[in-house]
Order: sequence, then structure tokens, then C-alpha cells
Amino acid sequence: MRGARTATGAVMAVACLLLAGCGSKPAPSASPPKPPAPPPLATSFASTGGASWTVVQMGGSATDENNFWQLFLRPAATGTWRQVTPLGVADNGGLVVASSGTGSLVTAFRPSQLLTYTPLAASTDNGADWSSAGPLNGSLASAADALAAGPGGQLMALTSGGTKAELGQRLGATWTRLVTTSSLNATPAGRACEVTGLTAAAFSGGTPLLAASCGRPGVAGIFADTGGSWHAAGPPVPGDTVDVLGLASSGTGLVALLRATSGSSASIIAAWYSGGRWTLSSPLRIGAGKLASTAVGPGGSVGVTWNGTKAATLAGPGAAWRALPALPKSAATLALGAPVEVITANGQTFREYQLASGTWSLAQTVHVQIPYGSSG
Amino acid sequence: MNSGLNDNNSTLVAAFRAALLHQGLYVLLIFAILAVAWVSAREWLRPARKPRPTTPEPAWRELLRISFGVIWIFDGLLQAQPDMPAGLPSQVIEPTAASSPIWVQHVVNWAGATWSYHPIQASASAVWIQLGIGVWLIAAPRGTWSRLAGLASVAWGLVVWVFGEAFGGIFAPGLTWLFGAPGAALFYCAAGALIALPERAWRSPRLGRLVLSGMGLFFIGMAVLQAWPGRGFWQGRLHGAQGTLTSMVTSMATTPQPSFISRVVASFGSFTDAHGFAVNLFAVIALAAIGSGLLSAALPEVGLRAPAPWLIRATVIAVIVLCLADWVLIEDFGFFGGLGTDPNSMIPMALVIVAGYLALRPAPAPVAETAAAPEPSEPATAAAEPAAAPRREGWQSQPARLARAFGAAGTGVVVAIWAIAIVILGAAPMALAQANNNASPIIAQAIDGNAAPLDFKAPAFTLTDQNGKQVSLASLRGKVVLLTFLDPVCTNDCPEIAQEFKGADQVLGAKARDVELVAIVANPLYHSVAYTRAFDTQERLANVPNWLYLTGNLAQLRQAWKNYAIAAQILPSGGMIAHTDVAYVIDRSGYTRNELDFDPGPGSASSESSFSVELTQTAEQLLRSS
Repeated sequence: MRGARTATGAVMAVACLLLAGCGSKPAPSASPPKPPAPPPLATSFASTGGASWTVVQMGGSATDENNFWQLFLRPAATGTWRQVTPLGVADNGGLVVASSGTGSLVTAFRPSQLLTYTPLAASTDNGADWSSAGPLNGSLASAADALAAGPGGQLMALTSGGTKAELGQRLGATWTRLVTTSSLNATPAGRACEVTGLTAAAFSGGTPLLAASCGRPGVAGIFADTGGSWHAAGPPVPGDTVDVLGLASSGTGLVALLRATSGSSASIIAAWYSGGRWTLSSPLRIGAGKLASTAVGPGGSVGVTWNGTKAATLAGPGAAWRALPALPKSAATLALGAPVEVITANGQTFREYQLASGTWSLAQTVHVQIPYGSSG
Repeated sequence: MNSGLNDNNSTLVAAFRAALLHQGLYVLLIFAILAVAWVSAREWLRPARKPRPTTPEPAWRELLRISFGVIWIFDGLLQAQPDMPAGLPSQVIEPTAASSPIWVQHVVNWAGATWSYHPIQASASAVWIQLGIGVWLIAAPRGTWSRLAGLASVAWGLVVWVFGEAFGGIFAPGLTWLFGAPGAALFYCAAGALIALPERAWRSPRLGRLVLSGMGLFFIGMAVLQAWPGRGFWQGRLHGAQGTLTSMVTSMATTPQPSFISRVVASFGSFTDAHGFAVNLFAVIALAAIGSGLLSAALPEVGLRAPAPWLIRATVIAVIVLCLADWVLIEDFGFFGGLGTDPNSMIPMALVIVAGYLALRPAPAPVAETAAAPEPSEPATAAAEPAAAPRREGWQSQPARLARAFGAAGTGVVVAIWAIAIVILGAAPMALAQANNNASPIIAQAIDGNAAPLDFKAPAFTLTDQNGKQVSLASLRGKVVLLTFLDPVCTNDCPEIAQEFKGADQVLGAKARDVELVAIVANPLYHSVAYTRAFDTQERLANVPNWLYLTGNLAQLRQAWKNYAIAAQILPSGGMIAHTDVAYVIDRSGYTRNELDFDPGPGSASSESSFSVELTQTAEQLLRSS
């Protein structure tokens, strides 16, 4: 009975998304699209059941080969962080994690050095045990939301630098090509966006959603696949060139993080989809700052860090951006909740700081064994 | 994992020494044969030397010939340094080209690849070619032999200039006279070209004027370049970092060398750091003044009065002083550090200019060479021989005439012939190496040592191949099996080992039908057929008919690892599986005959090819013996 209600809700949500997309009017064509900076890999997110996850780069070596990404879990808001990185594959190319529900998780190892395809690991017990799954042929794109897991076990992955999207009906099943940027650009929705690259994947119910960077100003490239055809589903963002940095299911709706760029200046905008309409936050101006991480928390809260020490959070739809105090050294990402936390990763040390009375207080330290030199 | 190849790798050094010793014996043998043949020809045929008019060799030519002969010999000896086989491409050739345009890097890297594929042959060849050219230049003072020596100097000088010096760095943005532009080898070519000139060119001072004025133009051009702003030469220190000249001098001071030289160079580095502007100003003025002085030598060529002799003399002395100062303080002699290939450009440049100065004086008039007196003991025989010659006209008389001519030749010609033989001895292996697309197995042996001989029955296994079929070792009986253990999600070593196996298959050619390339999964976590298949696709092994990538359940894999002494260790989170890199060679009857340490080295094209050749040779040995 609960499943039927979920399915009906999902269909309604997608239908509303399509209407929202159809209602957006494409802006006039501008200069030729240029590839945007890829979304950051460092991230944190909350899964149902109150668990928080974060993916950060550790090692701190001068060579990329010796910087190993690590996955940490905090099972409940009051608990402590623990390392749950899957074993057996060098993860110096980056980790991308997708959660499909309570405790069910798929981790993709972005290939590094001479490995060209993407190993996958799956866990159904909050990362306590992992089993090999997949693999995904081709290199997973460098984006925190390049992998998505659907409620029915489907998987969607962005590959080849964000030029292709692949769909797997379940773990271990053969992957099939869902769409490419070229084929997407052949659709009316794609043409209206002038897709330059796919940046995020998500499922809304069982419907695949893709996010992209658009070459055409004023369009947030979010697309929904219904019955094999792609339709625009993003909100209009007048004026600027928009990249979708992240896209996630959030309770009954969606939350998206957008980067609107005008000249050399960029702003971050959060967008929530719920009840058939998009709600946009006010823009957070980061200027020419380099975005370092994105975070999505409970209740549609979002956070970003940039330029190493700057950070801001947004509690949810209708809230205003809140600038945080200067972050501690080696800040990797925020973890959202109450209180707001920042995760730092320096060499072999993972630290969690909590925001209290306007200052960051060290709450936990985890020492991680970094397998230097183990990728060869 | 992934150990590289040190410049002083003992295997390479030993092989290099052995090759030089081996070829050195040939050099001595050739000398002995020539000497015996020459003495015999003189004794038995008693040829008379024909008098012919000749121009005495002018001083400028003698200077060039002898000095560049000595320099070539010195360079040849430098090429015999033990670090050359492994170090020259990676430490000298490629870094030299690194700041040049991409097309220069392509050209240079092509030569570097040839050297890397055949380090011993290439190093030894360079030694003998340069020694040979040096001896040839010194031994042949006049005539065709001497001019050919000049041309040989031009030819090999060009090879060195293009491939070894990346066109002397003339296409690199940091081009400067102070660092040796336009490259030492270009002056070797210039000297060789002057030596190769016909005698009629010796008789006019015009040659000297052209040489000096050409060098004058070059110096003026270098002065302009040195004065050009924005190249970092005007500042001893720039934005807190060392300026271009300071940086160069400081890095040269760190070259392994006698400490007193290092101190002198380092002191000059500190001086340029503090007085960068003054040093560059001096360099610009000195280059411009010398250039103008040298250029004035050409005034008579355009109908103007020749400059006072003292002006040219003073300019040449200034050149010598400036070149020596640059050679010591900036180029740091150029030949220290174990990989120095020559004394750099200042000495050759000064020699060419001094030769140009000497050439301003006309050569002496031709004189008749004195005829060799017949041997006093047997005058009749010596006199009779020329009379008999007409009776032996035609092709049948050619050997005798050649022998007589050889006997009549002077020691210089004989030594020149010997020198040519040395050059050929050096060039032939290099040409053969160039024609061979497969690298020498010495690189693999230098990285991992030689194959260890074994003799035991290969432990049986039955596993699943990449297509889901069961394969047992027994089912491969009748074929030579090259067996290794690979992790399908390994990021470095395993893909390289797979390519080395694939390369062995290609080198084997038709013989590959009798060889099976087998890998067993070496990852306890990622061992499904989906992964072996993905690995095959990644490494383009799916269409190699005799390739098997076997896997099984964990118990089966652990048994195979145990039987073949493979360790597969799970490293901390984020790291790959650490496992043994090894290859076993199993003969047709199922006996393990060799074990090869198979850490694939740096993963360069040459090391991959070398491992493939090593595998191939081991397999071929078993194919022949069974």
C-alpha cells in the first residue's frame, strides 16, 4: 500500500517536473559554450535514517597517486564518525557514493593511472561490509553526484567526462547507454540548454533525472526521462550561465545546487522542487572563488565551501544564506545538521569541528592509515 | 612495485663495460690486421711513393683538425661513463628538449626512444664513432682522407646537435649565448665543414674574413637577445625567486664535481644573485663589442679598408677570455656529473674563431712532396714492379694495385683507415638497433634480474576463463605456458604486465600458436568474471586468441596463490591489493622451467618491450628444447 502511494507520488512529481520544464522559456543564444569547472568531489550527504556520509581526500601528498579518498559514516546525528572506505581498489582517482535507501549504498572508484573502468562496491549494512559489484565500463565522471541509485535498485552513472549517461537495472547487470550530450542536444530540451556536459544524476521515484551545464544563459539543465524521451525539468535562472553542481532526492522532492556564472563572477543558488514548483534561494556570491565542496543535509539544507576557508549554509526552502566563520585549516567539506560541522582532512588525520557560539570546536579526531605508494 | 631504472644500475653498467671491452678487442684486432697488412705490403710489394705537389696544411686547419680531433676523442671517452646507457635519454636528451617546441621534442624523443630500447648498443656506438672520428681527424692531415674526416665530423656533429642537444636549444625560449647557444655540436659541424674544404679555399684570406664576420654577426645577435627585456636575465632575483642566470649557475654548482670548482661556481651564482643587472649589462656590452670587432674583418669584402690588425687580435683575445670565463663560471666545464657528454660550446666556439683569425693569413705556396726512396737492399725489385704493371691491366690487377697503393700509403692513411673501421664498428650496431622495433632484454634484466631456472611439476589448477569456460593446466599440455597473477582492478603494474604479455605474443608471431598466455586473478575481493572481462576489454586482450584470464571462487584462488607462492595482501582502506609480480614459464610437458621477477619497471615503452622480449626469448628456448 505504501509502495503504491510512493509510485503515485513519483509519477505526480515527474509530471509536475515536466510541466515546470515545459513552462520555462529558453533564453536567446549566446557565445559558444565552454566547458565549466567540474563540480567538486568532496561532499557530505544525509541518508534516510539519520545517517550522515562524507567523502574527503586524504594523504596530502604532492603527487595525486598518493592522495587517497576516504568514506566516513556517522550512523546517527549524535554518534561519531567512522571510516567505512571499501577495501581492495586504489581510490586515488576519487570516490563517488550513491545511497538508495536506508543503509543501502553503492560506492564507485573513479579510475586512476592505467585503470580505465570503474569498479563498484555495494553495502547493505551502512558500510560495515562491502562486496564487489559491477564494474561500470568506462570512467565515471568527476562529480559528487555522478552516480545515482534508484529505489528499485537501478543505477545511473555519468561517464566519459560527463558526456554519457549509463543505466544499470540492478547491481551487476549490464549497463546500457541512456543518453549522450549529443543525443540530448538533439532533443528540444537539450537544444534549449545547449548541454556542454552532464554533471549530476538522480532518481525521482524510478524516473532518471540528469543535470547538466548549459551553454545557453538562463537555463538550469535538469532533464527527466519519461518513456524514453528527455524533457526539460529545471527552473529558469534568468541572465546567467548555469551549471548544476548537485542533484539529490530530498524527502518528497528534489534539491539542486546551481552555479550561475556571469563573466568571471559566480553565485551559488539552491533550488528545491516540491509540490510541482521550484523554489530558488537568493544567490550566494562567491566571485571568482573556487568551489571546494558541496553538502546536502536533512530537510533540504545545503552548504558549500570555497577558497579553502569560506563557507555558507542554507537551512532549507525560504531560508537565507548564512555565512560561517572562517573554516579551520584543511577544511574538506561541511556536514549539515544541528550543529553544523566542518570536516578537515590533513594527511592521515580526519577531524570534525562543530560550530558553537560562533566558533569551531574540535569534536572528534580519527587517525586513518593512508596506504601511501599502494597504487602501483 | 614499479621500481625504476637507476642510472648506475649494476646490470647495465656491467653489460656496457663488457660491450666496450668486447668491441675494444675488435678495435685492437683491426689495428693489428691493418698493421700486419701494411708492413707486409711494404715488404713484399715495395711500392714507390709518387711525388705530387701539395700545399702545406695551413695553421688554421691544423688547429681545427687536431683540436677537434682531441675533443671528439674526449667526448668519446665521456660517452664511456657508466651512467650513459640508462641516464642519457632521461637525464640529458629529454630534459634538454623539454623547453623546446613540441615538434622538437618529438624529434628528440624519437632518438631518445632508440637509445632507451638499445641502451648498451647505442652507448657503445657513440663511444666508438666519436673516438673513430677523433683519431681520423688527427691521423689524416691532408687529402681526401682528411676531407672525409671533416665530413664525418659534420655528419655526426649534426646527429648530436639535433638529437642530443635538441638543435642546441635554438628553438627554446631561454636561448642565450651564456648557456652555450647554439650548441657545441654545431661548432663541431662548422669545424668539420672548414676541414672538408678543398685546398683552393686555403689560399685566400677571404675564408678567415667570412668565418670571423659570420661569428661577429652571431655575437651581435646574441647581444640583442641577451639585452631583450622580460627574459629574466636583467634580474639576479625576480619576484623572490632566482633570475634566469642565477638559477642556471646555482643548479650547475650542484653538479657532482670537485668541491673547489663547485665553490667557485656557487660564488659566481651568489654574485649574479646580488648583481644580476651588472652581470647582464657586462655580457651584453662584451657580446656586442666582440661581435662588432669580428664583423669588421669583413670590411675588405665590401670594398672598405681592412681594420688594423691589432683590433682583430684584441677581439680574438677578448673572445678567448670571455669564452673561458663563461666555460668555467656558467657552463661549469660541462663534462662533470657522470653524464656530461662534451666540454660544452665555449671551447669549440673559441677554436673556430681563432682558426678564422689564423686563416686571415694566406696559406703557403704548394711544394712538391719528396718521393719515397726505394729500399736500398733490393733496388731491382722495387724498380721492376712498375714496369710489370702494364701486363696486369683489367679487373684481375685491381687487388694487386690496391695492395701496392696500401703499401705506399703513409702511416697517417693507415691510421685513418683504422679510424674509419672504428666508426663503422660503432655505427653498424646502432643501425641494426635502429632497425629493430623490439627493445633489448637487458632493460628487463636490469630491473628485475635474470630469469631463475626451476624444475618442478607445475601445480595443477582448474579455473574459469574470461568467457566462463573451465580451464585446467592439464588442458594446456603440449604448449609452453607463460603464467602470471594479475589484479583486475590494479591501477598500474597489472595493466603493464598484461601489455608485456600481449607484446610477447606479438614478438612470438607464428610461434604464439604453441604458447598460452595465462593470468590468474590476484585480488581476493574483486575476482568475478565481470572483472576479468572488463580488464581484457581495457587492455585490448579480448581478441588475443591464446590469452586466458582465469578466476574462481576464493578457495580456488587461494589454493592457486599458495601453490605458486603468490602473496595477495589487502592494504588499508583506499589502497589496492599488494601482490607478487611474477611470471612462470611452464614447458610443454607441464614442468615449471623458469621464474621471472616481473615487477614491470617504470612502464616506459622500452621497458615494456624489453619484458616482452625477455618473455619471448624464454618461451622460444623451451619451444626449441622440446
